[in-house]
Amino acid sequence: MTSRERFSLLVIDEQSDRCNVMPLITSHAATVSGIPLKRYYTDGQAMAEAQIIAIEKYRHDAISIFSEVGIIAEALGSEFIYPDDDLPVLKTPVLNKSSITSIKIPDPKSDGRLPLYLEAIDYTYKAVGDRIPILAYVPAPFTTGMMLAEPEKFLIATIKNSHQVKEIMEICLQAAIEFSYEIIDAGGLPIIVDPLASASVISPKTYKEFAWFYEKKLIDFLHRYDLDVILHICGDTTPIIDLLPETKADLISIDQVDLSLIRDKIGGKMRLIGNFDTSLLTFGDSSIIIEKTQEMVKEGMKNAKGYIAATGCEVPIKTPEENVKAFITAAKEAGLIWQEIKKETLPLSSE
Amino acid sequence: MLRCSALNENGDWENVKLGLYMTTDWKPAKITLSEWSRQFRAIPDELIKKFLYYQNPEWGIYLSPPATFMVYGARELKHLKFDNSLAALRLWGFLFNESERLFRAKQIGKRVIATMGDLGTIPIIIMSFPDCIPFYPECLWWAPFFNESNVLLDKASELGVPEAACFSKAVLSAFYKKAYFPRPDLLIAATGASCDDYSCIMQLLEEIGYHLFWVEIPSRRGRKEYFVGEEYVMTQEGLFYPKRFEKYLVQEYKRIWEKMVELTGVNDLTRLSKTIKQVNHLRQRVEKIKELSATAPIAPFPALELMEIEFGNLYGYADFDEWLDIMEMVLETIEDRVAKGLGVLSEDAIPIAWVTPSADPFLLNLVEDLGCRVVATEYLIRQALVKIKEDGDPFSALAHSFFNASLIGSTQERIRRIQDYINAGKITGVLITNVLGCSHCAMETRLIEKALQNVPVLAIDVPAPTGITEQLKTRIAAFVETMRDIWKS
Repeated sequence: MTSRERFSLLVIDEQSDRCNVMPLITSHAATVSGIPLKRYYTDGQAMAEAQIIAIEKYRHDAISIFSEVGIIAEALGSEFIYPDDDLPVLKTPVLNKSSITSIKIPDPKSDGRLPLYLEAIDYTYKAVGDRIPILAYVPAPFTTGMMLAEPEKFLIATIKNSHQVKEIMEICLQAAIEFSYEIIDAGGLPIIVDPLASASVISPKTYKEFAWFYEKKLIDFLHRYDLDVILHICGDTTPIIDLLPETKADLISIDQVDLSLIRDKIGGKMRLIGNFDTSLLTFGDSSIIIEKTQEMVKEGMKNAKGYIAATGCEVPIKTPEENVKAFITAAKEAGLIWQEIKKETLPLSSE
Repeated sequence: MLRCSALNENGDWENVKLGLYMTTDWKPAKITLSEWSRQFRAIPDELIKKFLYYQNPEWGIYLSPPATFMVYGARELKHLKFDNSLAALRLWGFLFNESERLFRAKQIGKRVIATMGDLGTIPIIIMSFPDCIPFYPECLWWAPFFNESNVLLDKASELGVPEAACFSKAVLSAFYKKAYFPRPDLLIAATGASCDDYSCIMQLLEEIGYHLFWVEIPSRRGRKEYFVGEEYVMTQEGLFYPKRFEKYLVQEYKRIWEKMVELTGVNDLTRLSKTIKQVNHLRQRVEKIKELSATAPIAPFPALELMEIEFGNLYGYADFDEWLDIMEMVLETIEDRVAKGLGVLSEDAIPIAWVTPSADPFLLNLVEDLGCRVVATEYLIRQALVKIKEDGDPFSALAHSFFNASLIGSTQERIRRIQDYINAGKITGVLITNVLGCSHCAMETRLIEKALQNVPVLAIDVPAPTGITEQLKTRIAAFVETMRDIWKS
């Protein structure tokens, strides 16, 4: 069974040969492929090649087109520094130099680094799109909004100037929608990422008013296409757990939460993705990784609506390859459903 | 009449007939996937929610733009052009939704029955039982082309099917993988009239653990002059067959009926008569669609969509009622276009006949882009286009209609049909798309080519997915140029 076949079965409530295994291998692909990190996030073809090399090496179940969450903010006018050996860093938020009314909705085909993402999607889709889903990460409006202003000022504004924040959110939502349009036309499945909406960063009240509301709008838009929408929120989402099904996302990707708790609370309503500890993945030894992965997969697979074995957040850039391999192999073995499937045969199909 | 709010020419929403006015630019055209995505923005949410398969609001939505299906792996859609009507959007969404639909059918307790090799009659029996959904696994032969993928073909090779076998080998892989349709409650395999390669595929299914319910169909209709001293019958299409063939086929259909009674516990023959009437209603609609598409001064609908419509006649793509509703909308759209003198191709498009369905849908687009218009088809499924008798014994009526099948006729009959189009001045040339490994095509194509001396004929072997070369395109372009000179004169 190919990764695409496996994922297609999951989203229509059918069992596949084994559990989908989709660790969030994003910029880590640069390390695996030997492609310099700066080239990875500034050159669409390089990003695509890195992702393809990573999937050939690891045989996980999805391509992840992503580098960092500032891409839409950058296209909206915020300035970023591009370090040689690290991901882009916010230098000057657009609202430090311009007013809200002067911000224009970006054209994903020409503004910022959005075109290179589209190029990477197009390249990977042509190369392996018949066999492997191409997940294209779209920063949610709240996360983008935090990068249009000084983060502290932005958070204070959610209390003191909510009307203005909502104006910003509408712009970010429209930008995310325009980006999603192009992603879909290139063959990518948008996955909404809202790391800065984590309960580790904001209160549940702020989440509901400024993040959840716009996540939901973006999800509503994607549902017009009848797409299966994945929502990823980093950190601790326990305090906002009851709000998550109301986003109407089909799959929820979770990070630092108790998987069995989440499963019991919302698992009957959503497919779960997660949530291996990425610190353990980077610094643990393989025997611990295997043991913990197996435990996690067994818990996750009890979810009635389905489960994808994944890391709780992005695989850290410098994670040792053998650790990632240990995670993927353990997840596949623990997630075996059809007992007659014993081993993988084709290099790219994960059959 | 189906109505809802939609955009008029001025960009305002108003209450209009569905399918005709859906965007500010509703002039009929063939548009790309990206253009469809842009147009899709104008479609209101209530319209998307209006069309449901199995009438299920939770998961029955299928009105999605081609881009949705591309995201899920149908890569060829990126290179195709589609009709820009709402009717066509429904048609494509419904087609690409079939795999999901079959799984959902099973989830809600319907019985899913695979009918293989008979092409068009057995599904009518299946649909006469409550909550029973027939489907044709062989329609998966298009999957490698729509997906631009060798996944299914390679798997078939691994399972022991030779590389040169017909693309229908994708069916074996689909059964093996269990990812394209649910495990059927019953597999009915027709042998006799089925092609050689597909017969082998069906046999191999037993090797991988499926139990098949075999039925036999007369392999050849025969010719009137051979029926010395025995009773024979003439079909609706003016073809002849011995009465004993019909009796035999009726017995086989009754065996299927009994098997279905055993499976469902229902035995109500009046349901079969009702289903025949419904099927005839669909066939009349499709006949009208074909006729208008062939005779209108400007082609009102593209050839690719028309091919899918013709094949939909076989079983309604696993939701007969919804498919019938889609066909009503397609017909309404075409009638409106014809009345207004509008169409999707240029007025001087060269009329041609297409013989044997193309495994690669892209070829139908290509030929139209080069300036042709498909006004006649011989897709080997004639039996699914004729009206079934509604009086008398329903099994005999089904058997009688089946004997119109091209698959059990002689090549001369197919030639005669095409020659009729030529003699009537309806076509300027003939394009034959060979099916790799097909027992019919290997010899028959040469015979058809040889017999049709008075018009340009091009026979091509349809290559494997993504195999259409510039050389092949040049051959087709040269063929079109030859016809253009004749057409002008």
